[in-house]
Amino acid sequence: MLALDLLVNGLVFGLFYALMAVGLAMIFGVLKVVNFAHGEFYMVGAYTYVLVATRLGVPPWLALPMAAVAGAALGALVERLLMRPLYAGYGSWSIMKDEYAVVVTFGLSLLLINVVDKVVGPYPFRGPPLIETSRFALGPVMMNGQKLIAAGISIALLTGLALFIKRSLWGRQIQAVAQNRLGASLAGIDATRTTALIFAISGLLAALAGALLAPLINPSPDVGAFPAIKSYVIVVLGGMGSIWGAMVAALLLGVLESFFAVYVSYDYRDAFGLLILILVLIFRPQGLAGEKGREV
Amino acid sequence: MTGGAGNLWSNRLRTDFRAALAVVALLAVVPLFVQAPYTLGILVVSIYFALLALGWNLIAGFTGQFSLAPAAFAMLGAYATALLDFPLKAPLALGIPAAIVATALLGFALGRIVLRLKGPYVALTTLSFAEIARVVVYNSNAFTRGDQGLNVPSLMQSRVGYYYLFVAVLGATLVLLYLLMRGRAGRFWLAIRDDEIGAESRGINVVRYKTIAFALSCAICGLAGSLYGTFSQLVSPELGLLSQTGLVIAMVVIGGMGTLTGPVLGALLVYLASEWLREFGGIQLIVFSLAVIVFARFFRAGLWGIVARR
Repeated sequence: MLALDLLVNGLVFGLFYALMAVGLAMIFGVLKVVNFAHGEFYMVGAYTYVLVATRLGVPPWLALPMAAVAGAALGALVERLLMRPLYAGYGSWSIMKDEYAVVVTFGLSLLLINVVDKVVGPYPFRGPPLIETSRFALGPVMMNGQKLIAAGISIALLTGLALFIKRSLWGRQIQAVAQNRLGASLAGIDATRTTALIFAISGLLAALAGALLAPLINPSPDVGAFPAIKSYVIVVLGGMGSIWGAMVAALLLGVLESFFAVYVSYDYRDAFGLLILILVLIFRPQGLAGEKGREV
Repeated sequence: MTGGAGNLWSNRLRTDFRAALAVVALLAVVPLFVQAPYTLGILVVSIYFALLALGWNLIAGFTGQFSLAPAAFAMLGAYATALLDFPLKAPLALGIPAAIVATALLGFALGRIVLRLKGPYVALTTLSFAEIARVVVYNSNAFTRGDQGLNVPSLMQSRVGYYYLFVAVLGATLVLLYLLMRGRAGRFWLAIRDDEIGAESRGINVVRYKTIAFALSCAICGLAGSLYGTFSQLVSPELGLLSQTGLVIAMVVIGGMGTLTGPVLGALLVYLASEWLREFGGIQLIVFSLAVIVFARFFRAGLWGIVARR
């Protein structure tokens, strides 16, 4: 049952993509800018997990939350130092909004890659798995323990996020700020704090994606580039700024890629994302979520 | 664009153009004093970067569309020349113009799709395009020999000759950009940068002008890449690394975005500084990415902007 195997593995990768892409979608939903350092949140998560677990001897199950904290802290720091001028009322800043965000986040991405390259080294590291198992058959599907656990954690995180956004007070504040920043602040919502929260959440999710995959991908300093590009494809496919669109599009891309790699071309599997991106831009630029794209 | 504001801009542009030509003139007299192949080689590479910086500045600084693919188009231009030489044995007299045409057409096609949309799609798509183009070149072993790269014949033997070729191309590019910016197209590009919806409502065909700017920008990068390939006689996917694009952005942001002198000055400054920083153990990219953030945050006019305002 090759097709079922491909489907399940595609969905698993789609879950990891979703962890990356929802953060990007949330930032876009609220600030209308793209974070080009998003792949480096992922990289920082992967490195924190690997270094804390291998150099300090912390058990992997503890290293995982530490990676999450590192990602959240980085996200909050980026918002405080670099993103706040976008909306904190510095007059002329708003004119150069997109430009400023592109240049600064792209610069930040290079900075983080090269600092890690210099401080930790350019060589790939392998992270310790959360559980020691070899590959096993799960019904007709071949699985490995790390992937299965990582997928489980991803499902829990994504469900948790969805409930948080829909139900909790903070989540509703996020929705309000995404819909109308000025309106939200008139209603007494602290839009600045909400934006900081969004950056912390998206840093946390991307870092966890990196940490969960660290035992499977051997992180090197530029490891974030392709997950980030996949997330760009996903947020465009899902409808910029839509969390639900991003989740669906992530799973879709995971599955499509997994089939493409086997049935079309393994060498060009990463190019497939660009093809999808271009097709979406030509035929459905508003993405899957369409008009709903304006919601978080 | 009549009255005071328009005249002010054309005055500023003329001063800017003269300053840029002065830099080119300074570069042109360098071989009278220094003939060391190593020094000239470094300057040739800085001029290569100055061309990329001017190309990127045209689409980002003048038109306000932030492409993240200048290095990728340089790589594609270099490969266009290399592939015409290697399996097809076409002469460089054909290979170099072919690089310009190929990158312009590719830029036009990509721009046609992406630039219809407002918002961050340009940066997103060009970044994805750049990384994926590099991986495709890298993986297409049968044509490109992957990371081994392709050999390209050299245009001439003399280092000084190459140096003058690059200086001449830089001068010609500046003249072309000055003429474009002084004319109708330049005004339209600036209008699009400053207020896209406003420009559209005044009847400017925004998509067409953005696409033309992008295709031109890609062609400048493609030409630069093609010439650089014949200079180094090796074309590899490394030309298209995102860190190269990062360097180009650093040059323009530090030098002064939306000017003619800024990108040239920035390219010379950043590349020479990076040669110098090499001695301290490869910290160039850390320094320049930090500089980009600081300049974008606190000195948005860049060095030339600060000087010119005085």
